[in-house]
Amino acid sequence: MVEFVFIAPMLTGIIAFFLPPTAGRLLLVLTGAIHLALSLMLWVLRPEALFPAYFAVTPEGLLSLLVISLLFFLISIYTTAYLKTSDIRSEHIFSGSMLLFLSTMTMVTLSDHIMVMWIAIEATTLASAPLIYTHRSAASLEATWKYVLICSVGIALALLGSVFITLSMDVGGLDVPVAFSSLTDVARQLDPLWLKTGFVFILVGYGTKMGLAPMHTWLPDAHSEAPSPASALLSGVLLNCAYLGIFKTNKVMHAAGLGDFSGTILMTFGLVSILAAATFILKQTEYKRLLAYSSIENMGIIAFGTGIGGLGAYGAVLCLIHHSLIKSSLFLCSGNILLGYGDRLIAATGQLARRMPKTFVAFFSGFAGISGFPPFGIFIGELFIIMAAFRTGHYLAVGLFILSLCVIFAGFTRHVMKISFEDVDTTIQIEEKSIMVWPQYALLTTSLVLCFWIPETLYQTIVQAVATVGGGF
Amino acid sequence: MIHPVDILLALVLLSVLISFGSSRLPTLIKALAFQGVVVSIVPFFLGHDLTVGGVVFTLITMLIRGIGIPLCIYQVIKKVAIKREVEPIIGYNASLLAGLLLIVAAAFVSPKFNLPQTSVHALLLPTAITLLVAGMFLLMARRNAIAMVLGYIMMENGIYVVGTSFSMRTHHIVEFGILLDVLAGVMIMAIILQNIKQTYDDVDTAHLRTLKE
Repeated sequence: MVEFVFIAPMLTGIIAFFLPPTAGRLLLVLTGAIHLALSLMLWVLRPEALFPAYFAVTPEGLLSLLVISLLFFLISIYTTAYLKTSDIRSEHIFSGSMLLFLSTMTMVTLSDHIMVMWIAIEATTLASAPLIYTHRSAASLEATWKYVLICSVGIALALLGSVFITLSMDVGGLDVPVAFSSLTDVARQLDPLWLKTGFVFILVGYGTKMGLAPMHTWLPDAHSEAPSPASALLSGVLLNCAYLGIFKTNKVMHAAGLGDFSGTILMTFGLVSILAAATFILKQTEYKRLLAYSSIENMGIIAFGTGIGGLGAYGAVLCLIHHSLIKSSLFLCSGNILLGYGDRLIAATGQLARRMPKTFVAFFSGFAGISGFPPFGIFIGELFIIMAAFRTGHYLAVGLFILSLCVIFAGFTRHVMKISFEDVDTTIQIEEKSIMVWPQYALLTTSLVLCFWIPETLYQTIVQAVATVGGGF
Repeated sequence: MIHPVDILLALVLLSVLISFGSSRLPTLIKALAFQGVVVSIVPFFLGHDLTVGGVVFTLITMLIRGIGIPLCIYQVIKKVAIKREVEPIIGYNASLLAGLLLIVAAAFVSPKFNLPQTSVHALLLPTAITLLVAGMFLLMARRNAIAMVLGYIMMENGIYVVGTSFSMRTHHIVEFGILLDVLAGVMIMAIILQNIKQTYDDVDTAHLRTLKE
C-alpha cells in the first residue's frame, strides 16, 4: 500500500515514454489525480509499509508527500496547456521524466532506511536531468551538465556521511536496523564523533541538492533553463526532498543530545545562503534566475529556522510548505511571461499589469507572499523564526537575517516593478488562457487559507514532526 | 607476511598514480577499470563470512564497476572521436607529486581514526582516503569533461571501500540499489558528454562557462 504510491507513477512514467503527446499529457493529469488520492489515503490511514525495514510513513514525510502531490496535480494541469503553446521536441521524454521524477520524490518522502533515502535522492537527480535539457540549447546543455555533476558529487558526499552513521553504530556496539526511526530511538548509544562527522557530510551533500550556499551554483542555471513547469517542481518540491534528508539526520542528532552542534552548523549554512542570495539578487537580469535566487534565500531561512530549533523549527516547516505553494505559482507565472514576451530578460518585459492582467494578479500576489507579507504564510513562518532567535539570544545572527531580508526585498521589488508597470514596446504573443492561471490561483489560495486556519490534523502532524527538535509552542 | 588485501590495495594506489600521470584518456579509463575490478574483489579477502548472496553480489559489483561503467565512458570516446588529451589545469608531474604526497598524508592520518579494522589491514583506510581525495583532485585539476566524470567514479570507488570494509550492515539489495544509481548516473553523464561533443566539437569544460551568477 505505502510502496504503491511511488510504484504507480513509476509505471505510468515508463508507459508515457511510448505514448503520443496528447495521450502523454492526459496521463500526466490522470497520474497526478491518482497520486493525490493515494497520498490523502496515506494521510488518513497511516498504514504500515510492506517492507518496514526500508519504508515508513513519518509525519515529516507525510507533510512533504502531500505538498508534492498537490503541487504535481496542479502543475500537471498547467503543463497540458503549456505544452500545447510552447514547442517542445520529444514531448514523450518530458512527460515520462516528469512522472519518474514524481515517483522518485515520493520515494524520498516514504523512505526510512538511510541508504534507501540516498538512493531515492540520487534518483531524483537522474530523473530530473532530462527535464532541464528539454530545450536542447547550448545553455541548457551546460545547465544539465553542471546539475548532474555537482549534485552527483555532492550527493556522493552524503553517501559517505550515511556510511559514517552506520559506522557510529558499529563503534557504539549497536545492532538495530539502519533506519532513521530506529536510530532516533537509540541515538544516545551511537558513537558521537562518527555521528557528528556523518551529519556534516550529509549536510554538505544534501545541502548541495537543497541549494545551500556555497554549494548552490547549479541551482540558478538549472531553474532558469528548465521549462517552467519543471522549474516549478524543482524549486517547489525537489529542494524540500533534499531538506528532508537533513531534517531527519538533524532529528537523530537532537535525540543523541548533539542538537547544539547540528543547530549551529545549520544556522551558519542558512545565514550564508541568505547573504549570498542578498548579494546576487540585486544584479539579476533574468526573471527566472531572480526566482531561483529567491529559492536559495528561502532554503537558507528554512535551514536557519531548523538550526534554532523550538518555535524556529515550527516556523521553518511553515516556511517550507508555503514556499512550495508560492514559489511554484511564481514559476508557473514566469512560464506565462516567457510565452507572452518571448524573452527571458527582465529588460524585455514591462506593463504586465495591462498586457497580461490575470498573470499579473498571480505574479504580484506571489511576490508579496514570497517577500513575507501578510496574509500569506511565509510571514508567520519568518515571524516565528525571528521570535525563536531572539528568545535563544542569537542577536547578531538575527540582525544579519533581518538585514538580508530587507536587502532581498528591495532588490526583488525593483525588478518586479519593472516587469509589472514600466513601459515597453513589445506585443504579447499568446492569448491568456484561464487554464494557465487558475492553478496559480489555487496554490496561492491554499497558502492564504493555511495562513488563517490550519486544520487540526495538519497542525498535529507538524507538531509531531518537530517534536524531537523541541518544536511547537 | 603481507596480507592479500594489502597487495590488492597497493594495486589500487598504483592505479591512482597512473591516472594522475597519464595524458591520454584511454589509459585513464583502463586505469579506472582496473581499479574498479580490484576494489570490488577486496571483500573476498577481508575474512567476513561470505554468503551465496554476498558472492553473487560481489561478482555483480565487479562486472558493473570494472566493465560496465568504464565501457560506458569508452563508448563515448570511440563514438565521437574525442581529442585524446585530458587538458590539465595542473601539470602531470605536479599531479604525480601531489598524488604521492596525498598517499603519504593519508597513511599518516589514518591511525588517528582508531578504527578496529585498520590494525589488521594497514592500507585499508589510507586507500579509501586517497581514492576520495584523488577523485576530487581529478574533478578540479582537469578541464576535460570525461576526466571529470572519471574523477567522480574514483570518488565512488573510495566510498565503496569505506562502505564494504568498515561496516557490514547494509543489505545487498540496498547496495545493489546504490550501484544501479551510480551506473545510471554515469550513463546519463555519458549521454550529456556526447551532446557536449556534438554542440562544441570538443569536451573542454572551458566552453561550459557562459551561465554566470
